[in-house]
Amino acid sequence: MAINLKKGQRIEIGLTKMTIGLGWDPNEGRGYDFDLDASAIMIDADRKLVSEEYFVFYNNLNSPDGALTHTGDDPSGKNSDGDDDEAIIIDLEKVDERVEEILFVVTIEDFERRKQNFGQVRNSYIRIIDNSGNQEIAKYELDEDFSIETGVEFGRLYKRNGSWKFEASGIGYRADLGFFLEKYYKGQIIK
Amino acid sequence: MAINLQKGQTINLRKNEKGDSIYDLSSVTIGLGWDVRRQGGFFGRLFGGSDSPEYDLDAVAFLLDSNGKVADMGKSFMTGNGREIVLYQGDVIYFNSMRHPSGQIWLTGDNRTGEGDGDDEQIIVKLDQLDQRYQKIVFVVSIYNGIVNRQHFGMIENAFIRAVDARGREITKFSLSGDASLNGMCSMVFAEAYRHNGDWKFRAIGDPYPTDNFIEVLVPYTYR
Repeated sequence: MAINLKKGQRIEIGLTKMTIGLGWDPNEGRGYDFDLDASAIMIDADRKLVSEEYFVFYNNLNSPDGALTHTGDDPSGKNSDGDDDEAIIIDLEKVDERVEEILFVVTIEDFERRKQNFGQVRNSYIRIIDNSGNQEIAKYELDEDFSIETGVEFGRLYKRNGSWKFEASGIGYRADLGFFLEKYYKGQIIK
Repeated sequence: MAINLQKGQTINLRKNEKGDSIYDLSSVTIGLGWDVRRQGGFFGRLFGGSDSPEYDLDAVAFLLDSNGKVADMGKSFMTGNGREIVLYQGDVIYFNSMRHPSGQIWLTGDNRTGEGDGDDEQIIVKLDQLDQRYQKIVFVVSIYNGIVNRQHFGMIENAFIRAVDARGREITKFSLSGDASLNGMCSMVFAEAYRHNGDWKFRAIGDPYPTDNFIEVLVPYTYR
């Protein structure tokens, strides 16, 4: 039984190995594929990206400290039927000490040109799972909870007094992955 | 004030914009309407514009079970004059089978031309009483004989689907206007109502299909 956190609700994690799972059904109708992306942003005490390699996404699958591993891009949702299509595997014991917080976001690639939003993507969800007991800690149904949005800050892992906590943020935006990068990147982005 | 939906958007049918549960779902009217764009200009008549056949759009509802499929495909039979009727008295509500055997969902009648400003077709459903085995209702519109008559959604203006509660209050509306992306499209999966966490939600879909035969749209929803 999953514990579905309400927005803003926090829990003490007390765990070290977790997985962020993103799942959705492929587009069975006409038109473009649905390309959802799970990404992680590892930020420091100033709430800025530690360095660009700490932005974990389809083009950068591993964080330099070895804490985060992205399973790779699924451009259509066909990776699995009913299970996660993309995942980010987390080992908190390996997190670089400069990292104070890890944000997890889900976005729709090229949503503007393809005229897409989460409401069109069937059975779309993002969740966090405890790997030891395979238990869902938190989950959002994207097509139900963020139907007109295209980017969601799902949640954040953050350090308090040496231990990690998870907060389900559930903040929706009509934005793409670039928006989240700009928000936390220190320098100038070379596209 | 009713909520105007955009493609993909979902809402809780019982709630207004502020999130208060105010709507009465004991009987919900799903209304569909459309206007046909006037053909051409000065020479329109010369090219058959104003003599082209009237648009006959048909509203169809698929009642889906928990697997997202139509469980009861109804009966087929031949009428006295040799016409074959299919899907009769099953879980598909359409012009040849207007009333569901449960009596909880029905089509009010065929409007052949789209005249008038209100709903051109109405499907009435007693959502609160609908049997639990029905988890979702998909609303489809097809242009009858659209391919032969060269009629398509690209020519349709102000097409809408709306939901009105038992006390006549419009809960929500989803409007579409014909643009180039709908040229050649003769059917539309317009919207769906579905159970979610004990409540009824409504989703604006707006997915077009080239066929003018709703049965082709039905195929992915069947067990066969």
